[in-house]
Amino acid sequence: MAKYMLLLHDDTAAFANISPEQMQKVIEKYVAWGRRLREKGVMRGGEKLTDEPGKVMRSANGQVRVTDGPYSESKEVLGGYYLLEADSYEQAVEYAKDCPQLEYGGTIEVRQVDVM
Amino acid sequence: MSCETTAASHQLVDHLFRNRAGQMVAWLTRIFGAAHLDLAEEVVQDALVKALQQWPYTGVPDNPGGWLFRVARNRALDVLRRTAAFQERAQQIAADLERIADLDPANEHAIEDDELRMVFMCCHPALTQDARVALSLKTAGGFSVAEIASAFLTSEATVAQRLVRAKRTLREHRVGLDLPRGEELASRVDSVLEVIYLLFNEGYNAHAGETLVRDDLCGEALRLGRLVALSSQITAPAAHALSALMAFQAARLPARTDANGEMVLLEDQDRSKWDRRLVAMGFAHLERSAQGPDLTAYHVQAAIAAVHAGAATAAGTKWDQILSLYDELMAINPSPVIALNRAVALAKVHGPRVALEALLAIEDDPALSNYYLLPSVKGRLLAELGDRAAAADCFNQALARPSTEPERRFLRRRLHACAD
Repeated sequence: MAKYMLLLHDDTAAFANISPEQMQKVIEKYVAWGRRLREKGVMRGGEKLTDEPGKVMRSANGQVRVTDGPYSESKEVLGGYYLLEADSYEQAVEYAKDCPQLEYGGTIEVRQVDVM
Repeated sequence: MSCETTAASHQLVDHLFRNRAGQMVAWLTRIFGAAHLDLAEEVVQDALVKALQQWPYTGVPDNPGGWLFRVARNRALDVLRRTAAFQERAQQIAADLERIADLDPANEHAIEDDELRMVFMCCHPALTQDARVALSLKTAGGFSVAEIASAFLTSEATVAQRLVRAKRTLREHRVGLDLPRGEELASRVDSVLEVIYLLFNEGYNAHAGETLVRDDLCGEALRLGRLVALSSQITAPAAHALSALMAFQAARLPARTDANGEMVLLEDQDRSKWDRRLVAMGFAHLERSAQGPDLTAYHVQAAIAAVHAGAATAAGTKWDQILSLYDELMAINPSPVIALNRAVALAKVHGPRVALEALLAIEDDPALSNYYLLPSVKGRLLAELGDRAAAADCFNQALARPSTEPERRFLRRRLHACAD
């Protein structure tokens, strides 16, 4: 079975004015979503990335340049990823469809892991 | 941490975030000092957001409440380092913050004490009643501005402004997180209970709109009432009486609406839906409310609610007991709303005609001129006597006054019954 990576891009403004009660509800939805996929046996892991903007490295004229980024100017940041097993893009998208990420202004990028 | 390890992800207790928010704000405000309430709220918000960002990936940790406290502490230590105002007290504050290291359950009492002090601060007499209510919900209760605005049918801007002003007033009066002592304590307890009861009633009798019951407000009011009642710092039988009253009434919430969201009167409720745990809690508080010589309106109202709670069927309700309790209540607090409720008990004991006569005394009371229950009760009494035309008039009058949508549908059903 193929592996698919869900890259979760967060809208950083989405949770600015949300109440503690709502935060708890959001977390409960994510947990329930993860549990459903684990019960299906297709969830292979996931990790959160730290909040710092991170570093971008480029080489120009033989010099390596390191800058902050790539999201310092953007409203969206890559917040974390999940790894799923699925038969096809279609099925991976089906699994991701009820991820609460999409309810709160975030986006999900789905990419198949290439196996040589 | 990989997601695979979260197979045992823990369930979150209902309202954990909201309750912990209130506790953490109280705790940090004590350590930072009351003047830094805003900072405490900021730190707590950051800690909650951190959980919101992490837990979807890591799962809910073993001890979510302790996790939140630890993250808030670390955040508070960061803030401490870069806030000039704390320079002199920095060491002391850091030491106080460290003390939270193993929070649950050993320090639960210390936290409750912080919360109690916070409730007293939020209900300080220098504040207006509206400000006390808003601040209690926001700061002690962990409600958001939007939630408070929707509960009180006002705008977020109004609530936000009210909170800003309230905090400024507290700073100007240099109000701290100290518990008052002696005589002052008694009057401050009264003021706290008043705010709590107001919160409860706001939840229980929503003024307008679609939602009949705002259960969350009732739950929070009960939580705060019990916090005062069960505190070892305070002896207040009235707090037990109020907690008993709220517990009995909250026990009936699941039966107050049917599957379609329609209102169900006490006499028509499915009593098996009453929350037994809350009924038992009500009786326990009622028993403890009898310590001491005080007999407050809360005591009598709780006793009335206990008679209802103790009746296995509507027909088995001891209305004669209820009527004499209403007589007692009228002696303590002769208000037209209580006179109206007394008339309902009067009708059960002595019949609708006697009750209608009793209503004459309060019919023109300006305090009831906008109260839909007056014509509604009158209409039901007239219908019982068979005077359908007069009853229909009353239900029309009731419909012309403000009420919630389920209440209006209830009145329309009564009105239609008059035409049958």
